[in-house]
Amino acid sequence: MSVPSDRDLIQRARRGDTEAFGELVTRYQTSVFNVCYRILYERAEAEDMAQESFIRAHERLPTFDDQYPFGPWIRRVAANVCLNHLASRKTTAEFDEERDADASPMPETVQETRERSQQVRNALASLPAHYRIVIELRHYQEMSYDEIAAELNIPLSDVKSHLFRARKLLAEKLHAPD
Amino acid sequence: MHLTDEQLNEYLDHEINHPAQLEIHLASCADCAARLAARQALFDEIESLPEITLSHNLAAPVTRRLSGRASLPRSLRLVVILQFTAAIVVLVFSAPFVVQFLSSSVASLQAPSLASVLLQVQAQWTAWLDMLSQLRLPNIPEIPVFELSSLFLMLAVIGASVLWLIGNGLLLRDQIK
Repeated sequence: MSVPSDRDLIQRARRGDTEAFGELVTRYQTSVFNVCYRILYERAEAEDMAQESFIRAHERLPTFDDQYPFGPWIRRVAANVCLNHLASRKTTAEFDEERDADASPMPETVQETRERSQQVRNALASLPAHYRIVIELRHYQEMSYDEIAAELNIPLSDVKSHLFRARKLLAEKLHAPD
Repeated sequence: MHLTDEQLNEYLDHEINHPAQLEIHLASCADCAARLAARQALFDEIESLPEITLSHNLAAPVTRRLSGRASLPRSLRLVVILQFTAAIVVLVFSAPFVVQFLSSSVASLQAPSLASVLLQVQAQWTAWLDMLSQLRLPNIPEIPVFELSSLFLMLAVIGASVLWLIGNGLLLRDQIK
């Protein structure tokens, strides 16, 4: 039996087939979770928000145009959910140190790559939430300045300045001597 | 003159309308080219961050939550039944009087003043309550005939309305959240 396409699953989910929607969750849960994690930097909270994103997406499924790919849309829904969550929380999350912990021995190059990824994550996690969001929308969701301004309901000049400052802070943190 | 950091950012973000001029400068200026390369390296580092794996599959909790929403709990189903019954009772009792009111209103269509409309509504309401209070069910002797006072009827209508509001409030509680 052939694997159903996203479009098939979306149409079945619209008709009330919960299992079809479950299959969509399985396909996109990692990317959705990563969107939430990059914005919130707390594993349990990111998992909760990823779940919430799928529930919200299910509610909005009738408005989704299935001529477009499902992935970018669900990731945008997730960014919105996290944005609203941050607005309600209004506290800076502590960085989740356990996330990539792996004590198993590994080749030196792999170890170095992981350490560098960890440094990048730490630098991103240390940014204020409104800087993290513009980084997420620009670098991971590949939105234009205009789209980000519309999504966040802020002026275009703020998008540019947030991105500029966020990148400046990242560069300083990542290139600072240990 | 060197390019600004903002220009380099916008160039890498594909937000420059006419990049050709900027590219001519980059081709001839080693300093700006180096700054662009450093910036590009930062962008690459951000974008090549490996994805983190989930500790468990989200499909089961999500579908459980969706299924929970689809079927109403027993208490809520009872409210719906009560609501439906109350609506039928109110409809049966009020239908003849609504018809009477409409027929008399249609017969005298001459743009009455607000005061006269209010008086008419009040008179109809009183007449309706009086008629209801005199209502008997002579053909069904097995069922005890109630003495329907205006107060009782008013309470019944208010009760049905409250029940209706509570029922709809419960049904729509997720949307309200």
